[in-house]
Amino acid sequence: MTVSTENGRECSRVWEAMPSVVMGTATREQDTWVHAHLADCDNCREEFTQQERLRHAMALPSDVHLDANAGLKRLLTRLDAPAEETVRVRTSSWLTRALVAAVLVQALGLGALALRLHGERPAYRTLSQVSAPVAAGAIHVVPDATMALADWNALLQAHHLQVVGGPNEAGAYTLVSTDPASPPDQLLRELRASRGIRFAEPVMRTP
Amino acid sequence: MRDPENDTEATDRLLLQRMAAGDRVALTVLYRSYHDRLCRFLSRLTRRPDIIEEVINDCFWIAWQKAGGFHGDSRVSTWIMGIAYRCGLKALRQHGSEPVDEDTIPESMIPSHDPDDDRELRDWLGKGMDRLSVDQRVVVELVYGVGHSLDDVAVIMQCPVGTVKARLFHARVKLRNVLPGLAGEPHRARESAT
Repeated sequence: MTVSTENGRECSRVWEAMPSVVMGTATREQDTWVHAHLADCDNCREEFTQQERLRHAMALPSDVHLDANAGLKRLLTRLDAPAEETVRVRTSSWLTRALVAAVLVQALGLGALALRLHGERPAYRTLSQVSAPVAAGAIHVVPDATMALADWNALLQAHHLQVVGGPNEAGAYTLVSTDPASPPDQLLRELRASRGIRFAEPVMRTP
Repeated sequence: MRDPENDTEATDRLLLQRMAAGDRVALTVLYRSYHDRLCRFLSRLTRRPDIIEEVINDCFWIAWQKAGGFHGDSRVSTWIMGIAYRCGLKALRQHGSEPVDEDTIPESMIPSHDPDDDRELRDWLGKGMDRLSVDQRVVVELVYGVGHSLDDVAVIMQCPVGTVKARLFHARVKLRNVLPGLAGEPHRARESAT
């Protein structure tokens, strides 16, 4: 198409419009315009004729003959097969089996770890938990602020007492007797009577 | 769109709806309706007669599975040809794109119709198509064989319309240069057709 520029532009547009004209999908205006151009342009007329021949050749029956019914039968058989295929894939896949085994081992390990942790007493106590267990016969004792440490130690030794807790916010110590033969009531009376002891009461155990 | 096309489209959509509900009779009707054009399209795309049935069945397997997801964004024929195109490309990746030796094609696949008149035209076309790339062959088949618009071809091939135009243009230039001229007219190279 080595023609004048103006005609060249029109040839390009005709060239682009040819497929739709050849296939019969062009608008009436487009069809009329293309055929008017073809009447005056040998190049485009030749191309158009070749385009029509191409369309005719493309419309020939397929070079390959396939039996649609046979193909359809195989497709319908395939539609019924996916469940079996899935099962087969699941049972035959070594990778899947290895993954399942790994998950089981992990589950067993986690279970064993949980059992072990459950048997250990934690080093903390939450607010929802009951109070820490208190030894039987424990006594809360509040010494006077002016009591000397030596006097406090002497008192504990004299009554075979041991500090197991405290002081708490009220300044009370929790004491237990290391002498099982010492009567609790008598111990309380003696403590209350001791100089420098402001308070001595048995610890009330929670039910 | 002409009335017959509208009727065909309405029928195809109804068939798809029934397929989505598990109606195998609808699948059978649609399969037979598209079999010939898919066979021809895939023979041009793959040039592998030995894998065409497999690709057609892959295509309808997907259509069966996804019929309920068709929302009418395109024509049913465009949707199905798009699936067939992607299945064909996948088959080419798996089986290779080299044309099979004709001697290895089962006799049952060789068409019974081949009058001498057609043979000349087939040979003429075959010489040209052999020089085209896969994408160019697909565009030529979809436009001149199936009759899709360039917009439809763009949807099928999932590319811009401009790309389709470029592929068609280059395919036509190649065919014009390669194919022998019509009777009585000498063939001339015309690469300046822009």
